[in-house]
Amino acid sequence: MDTEMDLVDFAVDYARKKGASYAEARHEEQEQENFILKNGVLDALYVGHDRGIGVRVLVDGALGFAATNSRTKTDVRAIVDDAVKVAKASRRKTKITFAHEDAIEMNWSVPEQRKLADVPVEEKIAEIQSVDRDLMALGFKIPARYFQLSDNRIVKHFANSEGSRIRSYSPRLRTFYFLTVVEDGESEQTYRNYGWSGGWEGIQAWDLGKRVLDEARSMHRSLAEGKKSPEGKMDLVAGPQVAGIASHESCGHPTEADRVLGREASQAGKSFIPPDGIGMRVGSDVVNVVDDPTIEHAIAYYVTDDEGVKARRRYLYKEGRVSEFLQNRETAAVLHTRSNGASRAVNYNVEAIVRMANTFVEPKDYSVDELLEDVKFGVYMKSFMEWNIDDKRYNAKYAGREAYLVENGEVKHPVRNTVIELTTPAFWSAVDAVGKDLDFEAGFCGKSDPGQALDASLGGPTIRLRNVYLR
Amino acid sequence: MEDLAPRIVKKAIALGCQDAVAEIVTNRSYQIRFAQNEAVISNRWRESTASVFFVYKKRVLASDIKDLSKTDEAVERLVKIAKTSQENPDYAGIAKGPFDYARVRPDPKVLALDEGGKYVEAAISGALDQGAKECAGSFWKYEDEHALATSNGVEGRDHRANLYLSIRALVSLESSGHGIACATKLSQFDPEKAGQKAGRIAALAKFPKSGKPGRYTVVFDPLIFGSLTDQVGGRLNAWIVMAGLSPFGKKIGKRVASTEFTLSDDGSAESIARKRFDAEGVPTRRNVLVNKGILKTYLHNTSTAKKFRTKTTGNAGLVFPDPHAIFVKPGDRSRDEIFSDIKDGLWLTNTWYTRYQSYVTGDLSTIPRDGIFHIQKGEVAEAWKDIRLTDNLLHLLKNIVALSDKPEQMMWWGEVGVPNFVPYALIQDVGITKSAE
Repeated sequence: MDTEMDLVDFAVDYARKKGASYAEARHEEQEQENFILKNGVLDALYVGHDRGIGVRVLVDGALGFAATNSRTKTDVRAIVDDAVKVAKASRRKTKITFAHEDAIEMNWSVPEQRKLADVPVEEKIAEIQSVDRDLMALGFKIPARYFQLSDNRIVKHFANSEGSRIRSYSPRLRTFYFLTVVEDGESEQTYRNYGWSGGWEGIQAWDLGKRVLDEARSMHRSLAEGKKSPEGKMDLVAGPQVAGIASHESCGHPTEADRVLGREASQAGKSFIPPDGIGMRVGSDVVNVVDDPTIEHAIAYYVTDDEGVKARRRYLYKEGRVSEFLQNRETAAVLHTRSNGASRAVNYNVEAIVRMANTFVEPKDYSVDELLEDVKFGVYMKSFMEWNIDDKRYNAKYAGREAYLVENGEVKHPVRNTVIELTTPAFWSAVDAVGKDLDFEAGFCGKSDPGQALDASLGGPTIRLRNVYLR
Repeated sequence: MEDLAPRIVKKAIALGCQDAVAEIVTNRSYQIRFAQNEAVISNRWRESTASVFFVYKKRVLASDIKDLSKTDEAVERLVKIAKTSQENPDYAGIAKGPFDYARVRPDPKVLALDEGGKYVEAAISGALDQGAKECAGSFWKYEDEHALATSNGVEGRDHRANLYLSIRALVSLESSGHGIACATKLSQFDPEKAGQKAGRIAALAKFPKSGKPGRYTVVFDPLIFGSLTDQVGGRLNAWIVMAGLSPFGKKIGKRVASTEFTLSDDGSAESIARKRFDAEGVPTRRNVLVNKGILKTYLHNTSTAKKFRTKTTGNAGLVFPDPHAIFVKPGDRSRDEIFSDIKDGLWLTNTWYTRYQSYVTGDLSTIPRDGIFHIQKGEVAEAWKDIRLTDNLLHLLKNIVALSDKPEQMMWWGEVGVPNFVPYALIQDVGITKSAE
């Protein structure tokens, strides 16, 4: 038995002795390395070794949580005392309960072909510098270039008072880049995010160099040849990045059960879907949107969540109707159902709450050419820059970065700053065909207080929307 | 732990570093989150971290050391990694100390506060009394101690403790209001008032109608004006300017706002972000960033200041400069006078999700939330919903026509990252769009 598992066992046992009807402890160790290459210069290297333990207890129907980065039994005892004390002080009228789960004992880990820990930082820096050099060799005017590469190796030990005991290892690799391309006094900006669960082989899987160069070329072309985007009702063919952000923002967030029940009302907001909204129509029959933590190599891959519940695929929207909420054990008890393994925390020192993992439009069988061929007049928006959505997840905006006019099935010149500003049902009800070119990007999903920016994947294939208002 | 920061610095220098900074931060904060009118979870933290910054031959490394029982081993490992890294030619050192710091201490009554339930209850009661049905939010007692040492002769200590409460009150899903209470002294903490404001707006926002797109004269309530000024503070960070993430690049000495608008950053002033020194140990001070609409300076650490041929503003973070607390110089109108100036316009009370199409131009949109009101002849005509503010940051600043005379301290989850002291603002020609059905 290792020290960390001893420590979480000790915390859970002590919490039970102090009167907790339920207790769980999570020890996390995160080894991080990340750097920023700004305009070709290595700005700073960050190396972190974070570890600590958080304890959550249920006492008299109220939740208490406390955390420390000290690993002595004295300090762990102190945080258990803290958690029990603050829970007792809550004096809730409505008692919190957890939906039933069977205890699990398991170890799981994500395999690495080449361990992240074995890759020298010089090699990581050289990889990104090589992309930056190729970018500059294009000869475009790119006054602001910003690349970030980060990896995080996460080891968790979890135990609860119902007998679950889980050890896990998740290595994760991430890159983010931001570019400003200028031509004749006009500029375009872009950012992209890619993630990987696994080892250093992820850098090849991304094909980062090609993606960055293609993006810069499209920005340059947009500046040189781009015209004003047409305004009015027309067809829209939206690429995987647009399908991904829409699935995350207007399908994933509104189906988070804690948001539906009002627990996040003050911060991340509520949902246009009511608690009894399962079955509600929000899209056309061809729309299936899923959230799936079990997609291998996706950045939000996991086998068990942070309440020790096994992960599985969740159909959020199925055939255009709300199919399932994302649940943890607390929300599942309120809604008389079972958790579907959606409870996650960003680190040891915050409570686990309902979160998305890898959220995407389920692909079907159209090629991109087939999606385009019977568009008489419309826009093919491959990517976006600006986006936002209201706190009930009903009014969304996606402003195009790479977009083209489509006439009689042919992709013509670039169009600039195309704006999709639609309600959630208007967007998803207009979808009449779904492609097969599934692709993912990574994102940080923000929620909770204190804020937890958590790894998430956003994805989808190219989708076609009929007769929507664009400007 | 008393001498840990200087010990870490000494060790890093002994291992060959030219510059070293260590800051030991001990966090003893406490929080109650509430929803549906009662606590959903209470959180307490006991954490100590050594945030370090080492420079070996212009190779810059930052880290947070969490295992404080083994700092020597951690420093050895980090310096070894720094030596394998690459030079940053823009790195220009850290500030030379020692410095004298202001003598400020936290309110003993805040330090002694061990339970926040009654403040949550006061806020909820305040909102329910105004007609709200559902309240959610957070109460925070922030408490942290800082011990800083640098290889340039700095040693400083700071003990910070503050109270904060954020409450959203709802009458229904689409009728809500938000209130904020911030205090450095227990006697000044007024969560009930925050609850009353949230409840009053929520009740006023009942039965909202779908808004109409167009260009409007808009009263910005302090919370949403704070979101705007927080954007300004963040985009005036010199590092952000260099990264192409700001519309303020190459605009020093130029007009970026109307003459009504004077904005400063001040970490030394009374606020819930008051601090004695920045991450290099430079004493915090007031820096006027925009004076009567003219951009005066960016926020700097020693390295960015050298790049811009100026001096540090005392805004160093571990690697990048950061704003401490933003202050807008108040105007001379009362709140009522601001409203009475509107013949046909809007009153926006809160927003979120501010995003840019271009950081260089400042083209952005943001989604108003909570009470949105159509104002006619200075009075609320009706509540609206489902609109978006679609405009440009510089255009908004240049169209500020009036500010009220009583600024309020605003800080809020996601949108107002540091305290912003802001009055009501009247801005003309604000773009409003909405979703197509």
